[in-house]
Amino acid sequence: MKEGFRQSMAWLHTWTGLVFGWLLFAIFLTGTLAYFKDEISHWMQPEIPSRPINAEASLTLAQSYLQQHAAGASRWLIDLPDARDPGLTVRWQQAPNAPGQRGKFESRTIDAQTGSEVQARESLGGEFFYRFHFQLQMPYPWGRWLATMAAMVMFVGLITGIITHKKIFKDFFTFRPRKGQRSWLDGHNAVGVLVLPFHLMITYSSLVIFMAMVMPASILASYNGDVRTFYDEVFPASKTPERANRAAPLSPMAPLLAKASEQWAGGSTARLTVNNPGDANASVVLSRRGDRVVHDFGRAVTFNGVTGERLGSTPEQPVAMAVGGTFYGLHMGHFAGSTLRWLYFICGLASTAMIGTGLVIWLGKRQLKHAKSGVMPFELRLVEVLNIASMAGLVLAVAVFFLANRLLPTDLLGRADQEVNAFFIAWALSVVHALLRKGRKAWVEQLALAAVLFIAVPLINLTTPWNLGVTLAQGDWTLAGFDLTCLGAGLFLGWAAWKMQRAGGAVSVKKTSREKPRPIALEQEVS
Amino acid sequence: MLLALLLCYAAFSALCLSMPRHHDELLGNKPSARRARVLKLAGWLLLGLSLWAAVAAHGWSFGLVDWFAVLMLSALALVLLLLPYRPRLALALAGLSLLASPVAAWAQV
Repeated sequence: MKEGFRQSMAWLHTWTGLVFGWLLFAIFLTGTLAYFKDEISHWMQPEIPSRPINAEASLTLAQSYLQQHAAGASRWLIDLPDARDPGLTVRWQQAPNAPGQRGKFESRTIDAQTGSEVQARESLGGEFFYRFHFQLQMPYPWGRWLATMAAMVMFVGLITGIITHKKIFKDFFTFRPRKGQRSWLDGHNAVGVLVLPFHLMITYSSLVIFMAMVMPASILASYNGDVRTFYDEVFPASKTPERANRAAPLSPMAPLLAKASEQWAGGSTARLTVNNPGDANASVVLSRRGDRVVHDFGRAVTFNGVTGERLGSTPEQPVAMAVGGTFYGLHMGHFAGSTLRWLYFICGLASTAMIGTGLVIWLGKRQLKHAKSGVMPFELRLVEVLNIASMAGLVLAVAVFFLANRLLPTDLLGRADQEVNAFFIAWALSVVHALLRKGRKAWVEQLALAAVLFIAVPLINLTTPWNLGVTLAQGDWTLAGFDLTCLGAGLFLGWAAWKMQRAGGAVSVKKTSREKPRPIALEQEVS
Repeated sequence: MLLALLLCYAAFSALCLSMPRHHDELLGNKPSARRARVLKLAGWLLLGLSLWAAVAAHGWSFGLVDWFAVLMLSALALVLLLLPYRPRLALALAGLSLLASPVAAWAQV
């Protein structure tokens, strides 16, 4: 190899970035949306009313609902509402018909204030983006493996990017707009460098989250291949007593909330698991809400369900797990309040933009050589189509997903799946469209369509009882914020389409005047 | 978080001005070596101060996260939105942030 270290790193940056760029763009965009998972779900299931938070009252309602409807179940799960997710969800599992089988789960959402059942439209809501972000709509474990591979490539891309970028500090404040390729590179460098702590944190932590899946060797070796034992040791299940087969009434669970909060120095309960309700050996496990930066895997307190006596709590986690928990907590951002959550969102968009600009630069540099002849070789055309569909097409599909939620009839069979289908159909059509239209035209049209669709979201929502007028008047900032954000996204995309259109005109004008030795200078700087 | 944000923004503006190229673009002349040194020092001091402000407001674990968040946000806003399009406004905002920071500090305590 004659080239220097930096050249070979630039080569690696260029090609790994290209091959995984499209997938990474989708992973980062959906992951960014997943920071507002609960808010998106709330908007997509607006029938679930948001009530003033009162954990004790909600729990009492949930308990009486379950006692009426699921008295004979072997297990109850109660998810308490919080400021972001207004749903009080109860689930129960019937005792299995035969030993060794898993009992059937049933789930209901109830009104946190009246205790009556809520019939919300079927929808995956924000869960769709969250799942897609790491499972990529593929069967288990393939999606996770592919996403983790992409994360590794992202990490390589970041490191090689840092090495390739010669003037990190000198160019720290540099962004020169309206200069064609130069501006794209400036923008790529600026979002790359300025948001580098986030890029590194989010990429590295994603590898930590799946480390046991990707590198199980140390576990397999130490436990002679018996992975179960490892997990039993790492996550000691709180001892749940066997069924006594003697009936005894479950005592009210609401007072347990305060007791658990004492244990956690003020932390609050997110979920209660009741084992063997109605039995003399009933036990109640309270799991803590993720309200700290360091995620605590399975931190819980267990009480006797009849006497209310504390049976035990999981021990303080060891340092190594706390380190892992820190990465997990930072990645998920469960602890973030609304301001910090928006900052997470902006950082996520910056990462997405970094990947997007990188893809545009790859193509732009190579297109220059063919600008005169006007004929693009097949491979460049392929990259162009994939660029358009993976970026503009994906954004457009997100808008379609939201619109489908409002436009599909609420009682449609398999409604949640139909929403997801609408998303993928729109995405697939964007590929077809990008194939049929010339590059810049396809860009402009898809961006403009995405803009129209995003602006249509709050407009169509005007016909529902949860329209902007009502939500603003009520000060419901989750629903109003969603509509306003869609509006903002639409305006931004419209601006982007307009810029793209104008830049196209400018390029053809410049081509006629033909001068500028800029491309050569650029070539030297990039790689 | 507000105080940390104001201090971060002012810090980056000072660091930006400490570089001759940007000083020239923004103010029309190259800074003297001494002026550049003073600006650089002020920038780093303000960055340190903003870290302190974030940690004092929210404890180490939340404070560090907050600090990184405002660090990235203020740099993004300065470099991508303000400097290339509204350089005068960028500087005016830096001055305003400095002026407002004692008020924010007072509100935070």
